[in-house]
Amino acid sequence: MSDDMTSATPSPRTTSRDSLKNSGSAPQGGGAGNGGASLRGSRVRPGDLIFHSLSTGSAIFIMVILAGVALFLIIQGIPAIVADWSTDPSLHEGFTLAYNNFWQYVGPLLYGTLFSSAIALVIGAPIGIGIALFISHYAPRRVAGFLGYIVDLLAAVPSVVFGLWGIIVIRPFLLPFSEWLNTNLGWIPLFGGQVSTTGSTILAGSVVLSVMILPIITSISREIFLQTPRLHEEAALALGATRWEMIRLAVFPYAKSGIVSATLLGLGRALGETMAIAMIISPAILVSIRLITEGENSQTIAANIALNFPIASTLQRQALIGTGLMLFVISLAVNIIARYIVTRGSAGGGGKKRKRPTLPITPMSDTSATTTLDIVTEEQKLGRIAVNSRAEGASV
Amino acid sequence: MKFKNVAATTGLVVAAAIALAGCSSTATPAASSTPTTAAVDYSALSGTITAGGSSAQANAQAAWSTAFTAQAKNVVVNYDKSQGSGGGVTNWTAGSYDFAGSDSPLKAEQQTAAATLCGPTGAINLPIYLDGVAIIFNLPGVTNLNLTADTLAKIFSLKITTWNDPAIVAENPTATLPTTAITTVTRSDGSGTTATFTNYLSQTAPSVWTSAPGSAWPIAGTSAQKGTAGIVSAVTAGVGTIGYADHSAIAKLSSASIETAKGTYSPFSVDGTSAAFAAAASKATSTVAGDLAQKVDFTKITGADMYAIPLVSYGILCTTFKTPAQATLAKGYLGFIASATGQSVAAKNAGSAQIPASLLAEIQTSLALVK
Repeated sequence: MSDDMTSATPSPRTTSRDSLKNSGSAPQGGGAGNGGASLRGSRVRPGDLIFHSLSTGSAIFIMVILAGVALFLIIQGIPAIVADWSTDPSLHEGFTLAYNNFWQYVGPLLYGTLFSSAIALVIGAPIGIGIALFISHYAPRRVAGFLGYIVDLLAAVPSVVFGLWGIIVIRPFLLPFSEWLNTNLGWIPLFGGQVSTTGSTILAGSVVLSVMILPIITSISREIFLQTPRLHEEAALALGATRWEMIRLAVFPYAKSGIVSATLLGLGRALGETMAIAMIISPAILVSIRLITEGENSQTIAANIALNFPIASTLQRQALIGTGLMLFVISLAVNIIARYIVTRGSAGGGGKKRKRPTLPITPMSDTSATTTLDIVTEEQKLGRIAVNSRAEGASV
Repeated sequence: MKFKNVAATTGLVVAAAIALAGCSSTATPAASSTPTTAAVDYSALSGTITAGGSSAQANAQAAWSTAFTAQAKNVVVNYDKSQGSGGGVTNWTAGSYDFAGSDSPLKAEQQTAAATLCGPTGAINLPIYLDGVAIIFNLPGVTNLNLTADTLAKIFSLKITTWNDPAIVAENPTATLPTTAITTVTRSDGSGTTATFTNYLSQTAPSVWTSAPGSAWPIAGTSAQKGTAGIVSAVTAGVGTIGYADHSAIAKLSSASIETAKGTYSPFSVDGTSAAFAAAASKATSTVAGDLAQKVDFTKITGADMYAIPLVSYGILCTTFKTPAQATLAKGYLGFIASATGQSVAAKNAGSAQIPASLLAEIQTSLALVK
């Protein structure tokens, strides 16, 4: 029954949204094109021109900046990437001594970056989505507003402060937990090895990282959850769904790709985090999946750059910039994957709002439900409350 | 809009430059070249001294600038400790600083790079700060720990892994050493302290310590922490930890006594560090007139009253400044630092050791060459 609901509800909305959009935009476009021109005459207003060129300029500016950064990374990174590290005198010393080529150096760093971010995501994403859900669907309005404000405030905390918090609070806090894991679950490779006594582990770093990505995940998912059509929710409730069933059947399907993109944006934040990681984790350039050791924490690219930049010689600096280029490439890849998931979720692409409703399988819909809702949607312009009450009345 | 901002910034910079030039043109050259430092009058100086680099010098620089600006009321001293030695030298070479604070003197390539800033007369390294590298540890029930250079090298190269290892027990017959595993805490960022310490290990325990000395910690598997503060907090937080840090920053942690003369273990002391430095340091060969870069031979530290690991840190500056007024300012400040008063200010407020008087006199002579 409730399955029918979900599959049935969204499809009419598509029609309504689309028709709304079409009916709205078509005449408007015409009006602006013909009427506007004839009324105002052919003279171009200076305000329009200035604003147009300013906004175009800004758009071009950001493209130029991005291209410039990419170009800078490539040009600066290439000499170290192609150099022979085992013979080059300025690379065969200091922190680049042990590596024969660039890839040997950047490989473990790439791994460490992805690994620490993945743990942060595993911890942070469910909590972030949970907070967003609480704010959007469970909390009383006043509490929701306050909580949302607090979570957004987290984003304003400098990462140095998070780093200090990690050192002073999280490290000792996780110590007994790490020891317990090591003693009892040490046979799982994740928790194996010589357990840390100072708490300077990748686990501590990732826990702090997960807190740092909370604001992004929470605020984006909250917005998406709030956009769930009231119609769907009320319909689900009216059909006897509990609050949780309503969220599962109406909110989650609607917000699915939004959650994915929120999570991936959080991942992007985690990938690039420097200061907190540099301060908390005791790094080593190696590939290890152990979470609670002192000497086997895989270093991340960003932290590695921050730690070694001041002592780097020219070519070593270029090697670090080369690792930065790799980070740039992964971040780009993460964003592309996020885009891909979002567009695939929308089956046919287009804006965020339109794609959602096409997700469920429409043909399965129950005729009566469709009709009822279709009637409703025609009057949607009357306002949300009216629509909702109508929908409720109709489906009951 | 963007252009407006740029214009505004440029305007500001220009205005600041004019203001600075205006200020400094009124400054009269101070007599900072005389080795007798007690009676130097700094009150005529005015302007801003911008410097940065070594974080080991940070506490001392804070003490020095407070004491100096109390006498030279129109001078502002900005020392940026966040850069570290390497960053300090980089920024100074780029022309942002009047002098750089660095735990290691300029390398040949850095000296070459500095020629664009300083001109043909080059740059000089002045040893202005002396302290010891303390071996700090946190082992419940143990407050005194005696170690030889060999044992130290074995611990830090992870060849000794537990506290009750026979080598440590033999050196500490009275202490009750637990079976606790040793957690070795090192620096994850490049550091002059690391350079001094690895240099010490490779000179005094060459059979055990085979890694090349340098500012990056060479051995994987240790607990690597960012900055001296990171080491201190990790050693404090863990049990069975041992690490190395600039002595002025170790707070209440216990530090080990290290064998200098056969069978004698001496703890850190300000006087012991000065004595050790006087015995071990000699002027490194340099092509630049007035350069006082030091070569420290740790194997010469054999006195029972000496501390084994002295750490020296430099002020690096051009012999020829772009503006004479700025040279006068920098000379005044560094002259103050390299005076008996300056050294005792640092000893009192930052807990550092004092540069030997004979070397202080040499620094004053070198400063006289700066113009």
